[in-house]
This record gives sequence, structure tokens and C-alpha cells, in this order.
Amino acid sequence: MGSTLCQNRLIEERKQWRKDHPFGFWAKPQKNPQGVLDMKVWECAIPGKKDTIWEGGQFKLHITFPDEYPTKPPKCKFVPPLFHPNVYPSGTVCLSILNEEEAWKPAITLKQILLGVQDLLNDPNPESPAQAEAYNLFKKDRAEYERRIKRIVRENAAP
Amino acid sequence: MDPLPLPTSLAEVEALIRALYQPNPPETISRIQEVLQRLQRSPEGWQLAESLIAHPEDNIRFYAALTLIVKLNRDSAGLNEDDAKLLLENIISWTIQSLSDRAAPFVTKKLCSALITYFVLFSHVWPACVRHFIYCLDLGRGVPVENLDDALSTDILVGNLDSQKLKVAIWFVTSLVEEVGKTDMNSIKYAEVHQRLAKNGQDATCLLARGFAPPIDEVGLKTQEETLACFQAWILYAQRASSDVDLLVTPLRQLVDPALQCFTNEHLFQATAELFSDVLQNYSGFFTKAHYDALSSFFESQWAANHYQQVLHGNHREDGISFGLLMLAYGDAQVQALLEGTDERSQRFLESLSGLLATDGYLVGDDAIFVPALEFWSTFIETMIDCTFSDGDQSPVWKPYAERHLKAVVTNSWRKIQWPSTEIFAEWDSAERAAFCDARKDVADMLQSVFTLEGLDLISFFANLFLQALASQSWAELEATAFCLGALSDCISEDSKYDAELSKVFASQFFDLLGQGQAAVPLRLRQTGLSLIERYCEYFERHADYLPNALNLLFAAVGDSVLGGPSARSISTLCSSCRTILTGEAGTFIRHYQDIRGRQVLDALAEERIVLAVASIIQSITDENEKLQKFEELYTIFKKDFEFAVQLRSQPGLVDLTNPNVLRGLDPPIPSSLPLVEGISLHIALRSMRCIASMSKGMQDVKESPVDLEDESQVARTSEKLAALQADIVSLLIGVQQVFSTTGEIVEIICNILRAGFSETEPGPFVFPADIITNYFVQQPFETPRMGTLLSTACSFVGSLYRGPKAIVPNQLVRLVPWVIALLQKLPEPEADTEISQNGICLIDRVLSKYPEVLFQVQPGQMLEFFFMFTLKVLNGKEPLPKTAAADFWSNFITLKPPSPDLASHVSNAMSYFGPLLAQTLINNIGGNAARSELDKLSEPLKKLVTQQVQAQAWLEGALTRTDEGGNGGGFPSAAAERVSMAERAAFLKKVVGLRGARQTNQVVREFWLLWE
Repeated sequence: MGSTLCQNRLIEERKQWRKDHPFGFWAKPQKNPQGVLDMKVWECAIPGKKDTIWEGGQFKLHITFPDEYPTKPPKCKFVPPLFHPNVYPSGTVCLSILNEEEAWKPAITLKQILLGVQDLLNDPNPESPAQAEAYNLFKKDRAEYERRIKRIVRENAAP
Repeated sequence: MDPLPLPTSLAEVEALIRALYQPNPPETISRIQEVLQRLQRSPEGWQLAESLIAHPEDNIRFYAALTLIVKLNRDSAGLNEDDAKLLLENIISWTIQSLSDRAAPFVTKKLCSALITYFVLFSHVWPACVRHFIYCLDLGRGVPVENLDDALSTDILVGNLDSQKLKVAIWFVTSLVEEVGKTDMNSIKYAEVHQRLAKNGQDATCLLARGFAPPIDEVGLKTQEETLACFQAWILYAQRASSDVDLLVTPLRQLVDPALQCFTNEHLFQATAELFSDVLQNYSGFFTKAHYDALSSFFESQWAANHYQQVLHGNHREDGISFGLLMLAYGDAQVQALLEGTDERSQRFLESLSGLLATDGYLVGDDAIFVPALEFWSTFIETMIDCTFSDGDQSPVWKPYAERHLKAVVTNSWRKIQWPSTEIFAEWDSAERAAFCDARKDVADMLQSVFTLEGLDLISFFANLFLQALASQSWAELEATAFCLGALSDCISEDSKYDAELSKVFASQFFDLLGQGQAAVPLRLRQTGLSLIERYCEYFERHADYLPNALNLLFAAVGDSVLGGPSARSISTLCSSCRTILTGEAGTFIRHYQDIRGRQVLDALAEERIVLAVASIIQSITDENEKLQKFEELYTIFKKDFEFAVQLRSQPGLVDLTNPNVLRGLDPPIPSSLPLVEGISLHIALRSMRCIASMSKGMQDVKESPVDLEDESQVARTSEKLAALQADIVSLLIGVQQVFSTTGEIVEIICNILRAGFSETEPGPFVFPADIITNYFVQQPFETPRMGTLLSTACSFVGSLYRGPKAIVPNQLVRLVPWVIALLQKLPEPEADTEISQNGICLIDRVLSKYPEVLFQVQPGQMLEFFFMFTLKVLNGKEPLPKTAAADFWSNFITLKPPSPDLASHVSNAMSYFGPLLAQTLINNIGGNAARSELDKLSEPLKKLVTQQVQAQAWLEGALTRTDEGGNGGGFPSAAAERVSMAERAAFLKKVVGLRGARQTNQVVREFWLLWE
């Protein structure tokens, strides 16, 4: 029952996304080897925001939806893991709207999630660090931090 | 400002209302609003409304209607049933009077809203509201609800209404369904309202049927449009309502045919198309088979054919696009039937839908229907895949029919994604360009789905198209074909059964043309052509004969400002995956690289990719001597770079801007002013270091070899020559670090180089002996920049040691542990550098997990004591990452199973000394000082304490009853001490102990933590 709810909501999300999605973003459900869609795992790409040091980059993100979605939030993971204070070494994104105990609401759409993650790129939350390296550089050596980001952006240049 | 006094006369009230709607400063308006609201809410509010409701001024009349709504919502409880019935009659009379007085529509509509508000509150008094309202309209005044028993049938009443009254009746039923629809259908409070509304469905339908009747005047035409919107609102409501289908849906369905008639009226087309598209998309089950047939006939009418032609020929303005979208909505709703229907009508319709992919004009600026049409076809293809794979019947009757459409879809899409001429492209704005590229991606996606069904046929189709376009030199077509083939690479490149088709492409003249550069082939085609090579690198693995030519092409493009980056990436992909067949070319590629370097300064990232590519070829050379020789050849280039960088520092006179080796040191490549020699020198060194890091990545083995943990002969397997090379590399790294001792980036790159070797199981230039690595680490003083990164690398090193032969491990750990603790001792406070704290604790934790005896051997003994205290201080702190590491460390320490009795007594001594302190720290956190997100992590050592330590209860009790006066984590937080009683603390302890480490402990911890919130 819960799973049908999840499936229907994801079909609707896909419809809405196809109808209207922000520029430079990319999101589609994965296909299994036979070519049949797996709605529970989406491959997405997030562009760096204009007028920030992230501009020009495009970062791949996998979103996994649990059976309990939309009661429970999906999990977002950068593949490969991203150098960022709020991204765990595994690539998983730490963001309040993706946390069941914090700001997650079933009404939050895929578009809002992806825009939220895009905002997070240039606006890290030092209150919830997820990896020491990026967090430490962000706090202690902003110039070096920005140099690293610029390099990452070049390595992941948007096509 | 003081509030205004309440008005004393009606005239004053009128003046205030007039002033409210006049241009006035905001503060004046809010003061007027405030006093009028007070008046509305006072018991005199009813009387006020009644006195003004027939006022000749619209604004005042409107305000009176508004007042009625406010009174109903606030004070309806004070009305008894008789009052309520009388009020209803009055409001209806006022509404009808507003119509006969020719009041503005907004006044009459507001009065209708007042009636809806009434219905929501008193639906039991007014169950047949629609019929009763129509009855009153017909009579021209409000009458008692009971009189309805004597009324004629609804259709006769509706038939009596003149066009003005009909209009008001439609307003009423529209507002009725919209407003009631806004209330919560699932709440008991509104359940009856919704049931009664549904019972009005038949009457509403009767009214709407009249609304659809051919209009006799202007008012009638407008009413028809409003009827369409009203119908849409009722369908939307019917979809959401859980009531009996017969009650609402069956009567509403009678209106589909009259609504369909509105299409051909040009004024109504837009609204009609919107209604049908909306219902087809969101509630396709509302229409019956007969309706779908009717729609289908409609699409075959001459009128529809004309409209379709207009869409084809570029009418994508409002009406054109609406018609196209309507067709697509119908297709979407009927996709399964259309797919399986082999009848002529279905086939014709599908044909017209594939035609929508081929309208005049360029994507996306001129052609707005392509993207939605492609969306439909993607759904169609997905449905086809589902049917094909779920039925098991591989050749259903409909398949050849559907395949014919797919062919049209593929061909039309291929045509559509062809780039326009440069002149036209230059006219597009950035949004149009981005949308064009997005549409190409959608097509790529669609093609991958088609491949699932068509496989080889699709590849042959494009391979032949490729040759045709090449022969006719149709560059735009050729580019689009290459793009489509590229899109299919993910599906086929690993499978050799498509190779014959692909060989048509890769053996063609095209790649010779590419080699001739810009003059022969336009830039965009070169770009797509080169990326085609990258995408099919598995094909080249199987067809080594084409590989050198492909790589030569790529190398030739490396210097190009546009193609350089992608070409370098292709080179690294291709060389990395085809390394075994390229081994003989290692020397050639090194020379290629040197040549390019000698001619120009490459983009740094492109250069690193090429170096990685060459190194990956070297890696696969099987002859040890040859491999090392080639390696050294490449490595020496960077070693010399570094030597030159050092030389520059001492001899600034060498800065000569015609020397490419000097130019390598400019960042950006064309600086606004000449940077200092130190800067140039550093940059040259950084570039050479990054290239060495790329070599280290390229040298990583791509296949996995088994590891024998008991094998102690690792050292013996390293040849003398390799050992010498390794020593040279390490001394170079150390040398660079010494010369540029303040540059953190150098340390970061060294760490990357070391890490590249950690994962390797076979000997290699970067697979340094453990002793060498340990030596490097322990010589790093606290002042080294990026110490945190070094420590995290040391952590990975320990992990790699555990994956290798056991015998060498303890010797490394014995040296690393004191180095790490000494670094932690140098920190002015535990949170001064979170990266050092976290990684330092992690490393010791790793040692503890496998070699606890090493920890207890550390000399002097105070070091270990310091470390324990350090972790407790971290637990008392606010930094989440080291705190997590410390919690993990303690969880592991508490559950440690010491392998020897000697060690067991050390551990137990440490536990009895630090146990009470740990308990205090944990209680301090759980008592309120931790962040909510830390609680789960902190619950772990607590659970372990309870299950593993006999004294845990006593320690925790001590901690719970002791107030942390000093604020340093020594017991219950003083700020929470008064709010959480001793009884609550005792209850918490009892629960935690009783749960014996079970998962529910986390919940108990959470609740306890919340007590202070």
C-alpha cells in the first residue's frame, strides 16, 4: 500500500519535472539492464549557481527514495563524493530538508530538493559539518578552500 | 496613533467605507480597517450589513456583503433555526435585488459567496441549495425552503431563467463547488456538507446543460465560457470526492457532449481545450468509451484537420499550442489503447502525433510542441517496453504497427536536433541555447529506450545514415547522426555483436577528414566526432587497428582551445581502458606529449589527463625493466621541471618569457602583470607535482589481485631498480615540500600520491615500502601545513597496512602512535583544529581495534593518559566530527576483548579510572549539552557501558546526581539542574539500565534530553 503511494507520487514528480525544471538541471529515473525504469533511484545533475565560485560546474547526484516516501525523505548522494563541508565522505548530503527529524515535509518536491542542494553548494552550513577536510578549510583557510572549489568545478565542467 | 472612535451614525460608516477604497496612506487605511472591523464584530454588525446592503454605491454594498460573511463566520452560533431560515431568505432576496439594481458583478458575486458561507454552516437547513436558489431566482425573491415542495421540476425552473439570472445561477454553483472543495473532505466537521453538495450534483448538471445551450446574446456567450469553467471545477471536485459515483459523476458525464460542441466556437476554443486537456491528464477515467470515440471523431473533423495543419506550419501561439497539447493529452490518456489498436483510426492518430515532432521552425524558440510531443512518445515507448517484457509474447499483432511509428519518431527527432547555421544560432539567447541542448538530451534518452526494443536495427539505421550524410557532406545531418550514435554507446559499447555496424562508421573517411582540422569539417562536428571516439572506447579495445588513428586525432586536437579539454579527457579514457593493447606505443606517446609541451603551454587540467593516460599505458607493460625505463622517462620530465623551479628561485635572471618552461609558471596563462619569481617557481613546481599525482593514478592497476595476509616476502619482491626509483621519488617529494614549506597544496598533492599506492597489491613505483611511508609521516612536525589531511592519509595508511602482510604492521604502529599523540598534545585546545582531532582519534581507534597492545606499550605512559583525557574533552566540546570519533573510540574501548591477561589488567585499570569520568561526560551531554543530531552517536558508548561494565550503574548514578558547577562536563549540566528533578533522573537511569543496551535506549535518551528543552 505504502509502496503504491510512493510509486504514484514518483510518477507525478516525473511528470511535473518534465513539464517544468530549472535550467542546467537534469533528473531521470535509472533504467535497469532491460531498459525498464526504476522509479526509486534517480540520476540527477546539479549545475553550480551563476555568480558563485561553483558556476560552470555540473555535479552528479543520485537520489534514492525509500518505500515510505513521501512520509520519509529521499537520500541524496553525490557520485563521486564531493568536497563540501556538508557532504559526508560517502557523498551523502547533509541538509535539513532531507532530514526526517528536521525540515522534511512530504510536500517538498524533487525540484525543491535539487534547488536546495544547489543553494547548499555555495552556502554551506557550518553548524552541521559532514567531512573534516572541507569544513576545516572552509573555516580556517577560505582562500585555499575556494582554490579547491575552482579546481573541482573545472574537473566537473558542465558540457 | 490612537485608534479611531466608533462611528455614531450610518452616514459616518458610509464615509469610512468610501475612504477605505480611496487612495490613502497605508496607516490611514489600516486605522479605518481597524475601526470598521471592530464595528463588524460588534453585535450591531448584522444591523449594519442589513442597512447598507441595498445601498446604491457598489463599494458600500460590497462591504455590507463582506460584513455578512464575517458575521456568519464569527457569530452564526448565536442564530436559532428560525433566525437562520429568515437570514437565508434575506440574503437570497438581496442577491436577486443586486441583479435587478444592476449592481456591479463583484457585488453580486460577493453575495453568492455569502450564500456559500451560509451553506457550509447551515447545510442541514438548506440541503437542496441549488434547486432552491434557482427557484427563488425564478420567483424574483427569497422564499422559505419549505416552499420548494410545491415547485416545478428543476429543468422547467432552469428553462424559465433569463440570461441575467442564468449567469448569476452559474456564478453561484461555481463558487459553491470551489469553496466547499476547499474544506477538508476527511474531517468529520465537513463530512455532511460534502455529502449534501454531492446530492446537488443532478440540479447543477441541469443548470449547466442550460448554460451550454447555444447563446442568443453577448451575455449568453460569456455565460457559456463560465459554464465551461464551472463544469471543469465540478469534475475536479468529483474526482476528489469520495462520494458515490452515481451521485455526481454520472450526471456530470451528460455534459461532455455539449462541452465538446464548444470547440468549434472560436471564442470558446481556448477554454474548451483547457478543460479537456486538464481532465484527460488528471482524470482520464471520467470520460467513457463513447466520449473517447466522440473525441476521436472530433479529431477527424475538417475543423481539426485545419487546426492540425496550422500547428504543423508553425502556429505555436496560444491557440495552436492548445490544440497540439489537447491531442497529446488525448494520446496520453489513451496510450495503451492506441498502442494496441491496429485499426485505421488509431494509426492515423498516432501518425499525426509523430507529425508533431516535425513541425516547421527551430527548437525551441519557434517550435514549442516538439518537447511535449517527445514526452508523449517517451511514454508510448515505455508502455511498449512494459507490454513487451511483461506479456512474454514477443511478437504481438500490434508490434509492426508500433514500430512503423517509432521509425517516424526517430527520424523526425533526428532531423529536429540538427544544429542551425552559425548565423541563426548567434541570434538565440542563452535560454534558447540551453533549451535546445536540453531537448537534445531528451532525444538521447528516448533513443536509449527505443534501443531496448529495436537493438541492432536502430544501430544499422544510424550507421547507414552516417554514411549517407558523409557522402553528401551534409554536416548538420552527420553531426546529428554522430550525436545519436554517441547516445547509444551506453547501451551497446560492451557488446561485440554491434561491431560490424560500428565498423562502418569508424572505418569511414570521416576520421581522415577530422584529421584535416577546421578547414575540412566544422567545429561542432569535430567536437561530436571526437566525443564519439571516447564513448566507444570498448569498441576500440576490441578493434586495436583503429585505435592509433583515433588517438592521433585526439592528440592533434589537444592544443585547440575548444577541443583541447574534451580531447585530453578522451585520451585518458581511451588509454586507460585500452592500455594492454597500447603497451607498444608508450614511447610514442611520451614523445607526443613532449612535442606538444615543447610547442605550447597546455591547459593544466588537459596536461594532467594526458599524463595519466600515458602512465596507464606504462602500467600495463609486462616487462619490468621496460616498464621502469618508460616510467623514468616520463617521471624525469617532471623532476627536471622541479629542478628548474628551484633554480629560478636562486637565479631570477632566468625568467625569460619566450621559454615554454617559464611560461608553465604563469597562472593565469596571460597575467595582467608579471608575477614575482617566487610565484612562477611555485606554480611550475605545483604543475609538476600534479602531473606526478596523475602518474600515480595512471599507475594504479585496474585488475584485482588476491592478497596473502600471511605472506612476509613483500619486501623481497621489490627489485633493486624499483627500490632505487622509489627512494628517488620520495626524496623528490620531500625536497619539494622543503623548498615550498609553507604551501599547503604541496602537502595535499603528496597525500594524493601516497594514497594512490595504498590500494595497490602489486609492486610499483608508488607502492612504497611501509617503512618509507612511516618515516615520512613521523618526520612531519606539528607546524606542517595541512596536518589534518596528513593525518587522514595516515589513517588510510593504517587501513592499507591491515590489508597487507601482518608481520610488518606492529613496527609501523609503534612509531605512528606516539607521533599522533604528540601532535594532539601540541594543539592549544582539542577543538583548535577539528581535522587534526578527528583524524588523530580515528587513527588511534584503528590501532585499538586490531593491535590494542601497541597502545599500552606507548612510552612515556602519560601519553596514553593524555589521549584518554583528550577524547573526554572532545566529548564535552561542541565540534560534531571529532565528537563522533571520540564516541566511536569509547564504544570500541568499552567492548575491547584483550587478548592477553596482562593487557586485560591494563584495560581494566584504565576503565575503572576513566569510567566515572566518561559517565559524567555522557550525562552532561544527554542532560542537555549535546546537539540533537549527536544523541544517537552518544547513545552508543552509553549502551556499551550498561552491557559491559558492572559498575556502570554506580558511575551513571554518580554523574546524574552531581551538578557540573565548573561547566567542564563533570556531571549534570547546571543550567538543567533545576528543571530536571532527581526523580526524573532516577527514572531515566532505571530505564537505561533495564533496557540492557537495547535500541530503545536511543529513544529514552532523546526523551531525557528533551526534558530540558
